[in-house]
Amino acid sequence: MAEKTSPYGFRYIGAKRRTKEDPRFVTGRGRYAADVQLHGMLHVAIVASPYPSARIRSIDAQAARAAPGVHYVLTGEELCSQIDSLYIGVDAPKVKRYPLARDVVRYAGEWVVAVVAETRAQAEDAAELVEVDYESLPCVVDPEEAIRPDAVQVHPDHGGNVLFHRRFVWGEVDEAFARAQHRLSFRARWGRSATVPIETFVALAQWDAGNEIMDVWASIQMPKFPEQLARALRMPANAMRVHFDVDVGGSYGVKRGIKHTLLVCWLARRLGRPVRFLEDRLENMRGGDMHGPDRIFDMQVAFDGDGIVRAWKIRALDDVGAYAGRSPLQLGKPVSAICGPYRIPAVEYEPISVMTHKTPQEAVRGFGQSPTNFAMECTMDRVARFLGMDRVELRRRNLIRHDEFPYRIPSGTTYDSGDYHAVLDKALAAADYPALLERREAARRAGRLAGIGVSTCLEPSGGNSSFEPLFNPKNETTTWMDSCLVRVDLNGTITGVMGTSSSGQGHQTLVSTVLGEIFERDPSGIRVVHADSLNALPSNSPVGSRMAIMLGGAAAGAARRIRDNLMAIAAHNLGVAASDLEYRNGDISVAGQPDRLLTWDQLVEIAHRKYHCMPPGMEPGLQAQFVWEVPTGGTLPTADGQVQMYPCYSFEVHVVYVEIDPDTGKPDLQRYVVGHDCGVMINPDIVHGMTCGGVAHGVGAALYEKFSFSDEGQLLAGTFMDYLIPSSLEVPAIDIVDHCTPSPLTTFGQKGSGEAGYLGGPAGIACAINDALAPVGAAIAQTPMSHLALWSLIQAPRDAGQRAA
Amino acid sequence: MKSAVFEYALAGSLDEAVELLAQHGPEAKVLAGGQSLVPMMAMRLARPSWLVNVNEIAALKGCAPGTGEASGCWVTGAGLRQVDAERHAGLAAGVPLIAQGLRWVGHVQTKNRGTVGGSLVHADPSAELPLVARVLDAGLVLRRRAGSRVVAAAQFFDAPFVTAVEPDECLAEIRWPVWTGGRIGSAFEEVSIRHGDYAIVAACAQVALDEQGRCLRAVLGVGGASGTPIAVEPVASALAGTRLDESDIEAAAAAVGGHLDPTGDVHASVEYRLHLARVLCARVLRAARDRALRA
Repeated sequence: MAEKTSPYGFRYIGAKRRTKEDPRFVTGRGRYAADVQLHGMLHVAIVASPYPSARIRSIDAQAARAAPGVHYVLTGEELCSQIDSLYIGVDAPKVKRYPLARDVVRYAGEWVVAVVAETRAQAEDAAELVEVDYESLPCVVDPEEAIRPDAVQVHPDHGGNVLFHRRFVWGEVDEAFARAQHRLSFRARWGRSATVPIETFVALAQWDAGNEIMDVWASIQMPKFPEQLARALRMPANAMRVHFDVDVGGSYGVKRGIKHTLLVCWLARRLGRPVRFLEDRLENMRGGDMHGPDRIFDMQVAFDGDGIVRAWKIRALDDVGAYAGRSPLQLGKPVSAICGPYRIPAVEYEPISVMTHKTPQEAVRGFGQSPTNFAMECTMDRVARFLGMDRVELRRRNLIRHDEFPYRIPSGTTYDSGDYHAVLDKALAAADYPALLERREAARRAGRLAGIGVSTCLEPSGGNSSFEPLFNPKNETTTWMDSCLVRVDLNGTITGVMGTSSSGQGHQTLVSTVLGEIFERDPSGIRVVHADSLNALPSNSPVGSRMAIMLGGAAAGAARRIRDNLMAIAAHNLGVAASDLEYRNGDISVAGQPDRLLTWDQLVEIAHRKYHCMPPGMEPGLQAQFVWEVPTGGTLPTADGQVQMYPCYSFEVHVVYVEIDPDTGKPDLQRYVVGHDCGVMINPDIVHGMTCGGVAHGVGAALYEKFSFSDEGQLLAGTFMDYLIPSSLEVPAIDIVDHCTPSPLTTFGQKGSGEAGYLGGPAGIACAINDALAPVGAAIAQTPMSHLALWSLIQAPRDAGQRAA
Repeated sequence: MKSAVFEYALAGSLDEAVELLAQHGPEAKVLAGGQSLVPMMAMRLARPSWLVNVNEIAALKGCAPGTGEASGCWVTGAGLRQVDAERHAGLAAGVPLIAQGLRWVGHVQTKNRGTVGGSLVHADPSAELPLVARVLDAGLVLRRRAGSRVVAAAQFFDAPFVTAVEPDECLAEIRWPVWTGGRIGSAFEEVSIRHGDYAIVAACAQVALDEQGRCLRAVLGVGGASGTPIAVEPVASALAGTRLDESDIEAAAAAVGGHLDPTGDVHASVEYRLHLARVLCARVLRAARDRALRA
């Protein structure tokens, strides 16, 4: 296969190379948690609540217990008394959460009883026989109603439904609003959607009674997973062995599964048999707790006649559903980029996290940033429309200039680097923007609704946890380290060991490329494995678009330590100072004297066998570990909520051309260009794949996907018949143009890219749709922009026009 | 998503299949392509005690011009795969609406399994093939142990997912009328949210024009806007004698709504469905006319 050379002057980094993982995925050789088959394995099915809010009067499980193949029927009453409540991201100790409901249910689909049987089919048969007597209670499903003091309470012990509410004011916001020539305000709504991976959640646990170790195979992507499990199970964390070496079939945030795993761990220990829970799609969609942000934004913006934005105020009301996990923190990440890529000196941000009787929310790609970017970009377009100014020109005037980096934003974070104007220009050139404008005009002349959207959005990356102390003063987390262990064995082959799972991000490619770069050895021969949690160095898992930065940096750090040792061994044996040596392809020679050489194999042999040739005091063998703190991490927020959030800021421009059938409201994305700058790309194919997938995800969120609920709290989109994921026929061809502004903070200049495409996609599509609607005097600021919603908007002015005529 | 317990029989012949249906009647379901039934069973929305698999019955896979009492029709076996119907040149020439409708059905993968008869018997009110059958008034041949009967599509669809098929009957073949005389054109169009979804609303039309472009005969129908596919016969017959010009078509499309009884859901309101029916009826009439003029 052709290997193109790196555009950055590296040997392997940035070169087009085949990924390590993809061949096994496309040939059906992946090994997922559901592929792990243990002897004597039992299966779980769930009895879920049909009510969004009810008291459990009684549970009659007699018939289920007597059903064929059934081993156990577990109720919340029994389970909850023996485990501790799950971890919550904010300070709300009375919001207790267990895998099974006890006494009351708080959303339709909440797990009430777990049935364990020889087969999943038997477990489902028996689950139908469980009789639960419910007393239906009032429910609250509207977040605006839920924040009222007199609202029905989801957790009465907590006192109100609000989990978190704070008003941050950074800079002279009110003064800016008073002085600015113009002000605008509007409301934007982000509908509840998620990533919905093909693989639902899977958890398998086996209690090793001899060693008193709980072995877990689960499809997870989650920081602190073994520790949280152990704490809830009241077990020592070193009795929890999570096997990170299973392939995870998609996640982008949602594969938390802590309640699933807790359940099977408890059952495995109780029953002395391995127990698996493989969620089916129905269980996943309503009870898997994987819905994403569900937000109402009230936006206010102050600006002058020249288009310069002086300040904005963002109030974000987020409906997290019936329980708090990490979700309230999902309002925190946007603090890291609260003025977007713009030079806005004063910002007010009022995040409110509220509970309702709905399926709980979990982290979804971008951790709340894509909804916020959507609201910000709708704001910028409205400012332009108000002023009659070209939307691209408006952005050019407000974008932070290349020479202003590093740039400190009002909320206390410094953006590392960027060249936003250059990326914007590149994207517009790639889209042939003037031709696109002509195409739009021609379409409009022909009576069609046509529009162009241009969004300019940030991707905060390198995830640290600064939102944790910001949203919970009792939490003083200031590090979100990641680690790598590197070994060179006696035979001279290299192995990188990572301490977390992968859910399609290509970490094996990442680590092998980085190790190859440092060692100057071919990455294709470098193996990368996942330690289990008892063997692993600290990791905070691949969340927050962080692994290229954090795992990449840790792998490079460990490799450099080994390389330094090799240099020391060579210096000792060649009798010169290390500074007089040259390292080339793993061989080391005296500078200018290529025949005074020790080869890779010779150096490795000295390290592993010939202690008498080692420099005095050096540790034998060739291994090193590196635990890396997040760049710019390590500090707590100030009293007014200023904090350095994510270290690195990738940037993306979406140029979208849409036509809407005026008679049916059907949108058709006809041209899609992304300009993207994530610094140095370690593997361009992986970055481009992430970006294409992110755009597809954004198309779904923007136009199709929504977990709709009825006014009575019933999920109306519990299958793929109603939760509409775009297929390849709805996602347009995507052109990506790259730009590289290296980060000064990272090992090779890389930034994160795991959220690329998704963070600016819905914003860009919304801008295009609104441009298309402009000629009929309509505007939309909600997702999904469904056919029905678009048709209703197109129709309304027509009806009004007919009435006027 | 594991189905409830059921007994399974692989029928080797149509006689064997109807024998099994005679024995197990209301408790039994015929398994054809399984593209609707199997997911419904997995979700336990359908819980047959017996499943009679008819996929191996060669006699159900025919596709040929009819003879005898079926002359003037194309006859397709109920078990004919949708993909085979869509790509059959003879069928496309004789009854072009079938392929035009199948273009909107699911995806290649589902059409590789899905059958023509399965779609008709499933009788989803938004499905494409039931609409085509209703508009053309196809004849549906139902076999039981004692013999067979032919039910016209007009009498076949009773309600959403309810048909005239009795528990001991199996749909054996479908007789699709072939139009002759005049210049003939047809068209099918729908609005679905994604390609391959069930239609929010679907419409199809077929017209025959004389040499002067005057309409000799027209049929027009709408799916997704009532409990069954609707053939708007009074509207279509009023088009006979017109030139199908813009005002004729607009008047017909405007009259369609009075024959429909749509319901609303999260994806489409009643008003939206009625509006789409009007828009799509106008579009298919125009397209059918234009094709006929080119014929």
